Amino acid sequence: MIKPSPATKLADMQRNFISDCLSGKLTKDNTLMVDDIDTRVISAQGLMGIYQNSAIANITHSLSLTYPVIEKLVGDDFFRATCRQFIREVWPTSANMDDYGEEFSAFLAEFEHVKHLAYLADVARLEWAFHQSSLADNANITDWSTLAQVTDILQLQFVLAPSHRLISSAYPVDEIWQVNQDNALADIEVDFSHQHDETNNSTFLALIRPELKTVIVPITLGEFEFLQCCENEETFEQAMISASSKQADFSVDDSLKKFIELAIIIGFKGND
Amino acid sequence: MEMIKGVGIGLRYQHFQEFIEHKPDVPWLEVHTENFLNKHSTSSKYLATIRQNYQISAHCVGMSLGSADVTCPVREQHLQKINKTLDWLQPSLVSDHLSWSACDGVHYLPDLLPIPYTEEAFDVVTQNINRSQDILQRQILVENPSSYLGFVDSTITEWDFLADVSQVTGCGLLLDVNNIFVSAHNHNFDAIAYLNSLPADAVKEIHLAGYSIDTIEGKEVYIDTHGQRVYGGVWQLYEQAIERFGAVPTLIEWDTDVPELSVLLEEKSKAEAIMAKVLNRQLIF
Repeated sequence: MIKPSPATKLADMQRNFISDCLSGKLTKDNTLMVDDIDTRVISAQGLMGIYQNSAIANITHSLSLTYPVIEKLVGDDFFRATCRQFIREVWPTSANMDDYGEEFSAFLAEFEHVKHLAYLADVARLEWAFHQSSLADNANITDWSTLAQVTDILQLQFVLAPSHRLISSAYPVDEIWQVNQDNALADIEVDFSHQHDETNNSTFLALIRPELKTVIVPITLGEFEFLQCCENEETFEQAMISASSKQADFSVDDSLKKFIELAIIIGFKGND
Repeated sequence: MEMIKGVGIGLRYQHFQEFIEHKPDVPWLEVHTENFLNKHSTSSKYLATIRQNYQISAHCVGMSLGSADVTCPVREQHLQKINKTLDWLQPSLVSDHLSWSACDGVHYLPDLLPIPYTEEAFDVVTQNINRSQDILQRQILVENPSSYLGFVDSTITEWDFLADVSQVTGCGLLLDVNNIFVSAHNHNFDAIAYLNSLPADAVKEIHLAGYSIDTIEGKEVYIDTHGQRVYGGVWQLYEQAIERFGAVPTLIEWDTDVPELSVLLEEKSKAEAIMAKVLNRQLIF
């Protein structure tokens, strides 16, 4: 249970300071710090405005590192204004700014000014997954020869790499992401010609960081289901049944080989 | 561990590849510890490679040494993460700021926020530094802040506060010459008197950076943006600092609008020339 700071003068001042910087309520007549600071040359609002601008710029910078594609899609000015609104609603809670910004996707989904860009929230979800993948622990890959010792292969559970992430979307978010990379070819276009049914996803992606950089791998619906089952620690048998129920031509041999080669599946937990 | 010497530069991700491929002639690098809290992250892997050829100073921004709540969970968790990073980074120096960022145990504002120089704040800061040094099992350096406002309750000067904090906790000092210059302008105090008030043997590292100038309600305010070359007045103050503190390892710091590495190397050469000039002069007299 987190306790608030004791009610000392310093604690009160710090609470007011953060509120003035992040609440969005700092005005000439509403500056919580007015009694604490020397305002003989510059007003309290003017002085706190310096810290407010700096704090918001720092947090926005952090968001721009996590969400570079969103920034590119909406433009610098709009991105900054959007972040400002987001920051008012979601204050950082960790000194590790890599932890900040998970709620950005949900915020965009509800943000009135981007309602017409229905894919934006899903692109943000992909970028958060990419960010998390790039920060994840290394994988300890199992010696696959030990698989031969498992007596009941159907009952084992496959283990996924710490850097793996799964994303599904009604939009071609991987293509949107790709064309907004610095090294993207200029003549690639994203195909928005077919109707997008928001209740029926058609893009399925696995993210994995094999060496230095995370890569995005398009997968099928069956493969997505299979990996989700693995995430949920379901048995190989359950995963196969679920995947086949979603995709009639799901090939467990091909998918398993592919995921082991990509080091998305890195091991197994046997029943022995 | 071998101590760092000479003029280093702040390592930024824009220059990772250049340091790996060309190994530019820089005696040491400073990194922001908070950018490498995950040992296996992409950034940490780059740093692990670069680190094989350079000594490192670990500069932290999140210890929040001025937080009123000395048992603040945000601080405690963060100290544990920093400790883990220092384990593999093995830096020669570790530093943070005379400032605060965390409050109420849950809120964190990623900036270096000012504290009033009062008895209460002194108590808090010394407790927090002691706690940090206990957890990290080493001396930390505390950097003088730049600030834009003064507190009506302050009863101690910043330089006396720092000198006393260093004496009570045994922490070293990281002297940011640009911060002194910026604050001296904003608060109208004598920068040389500031330098002369600090205990010479406590200063273990110096920072140099650029600032920007803003006008607020008709008053010119210097803002510590780390996005420009070092200003002439700061170079002059640096010469005074070397005169007083000797050949203290010095860092060229640049955080916003990070330029080509060659620009940082030019600034490094200027600092080296000033350091050499002062030390030669001291040898002659």
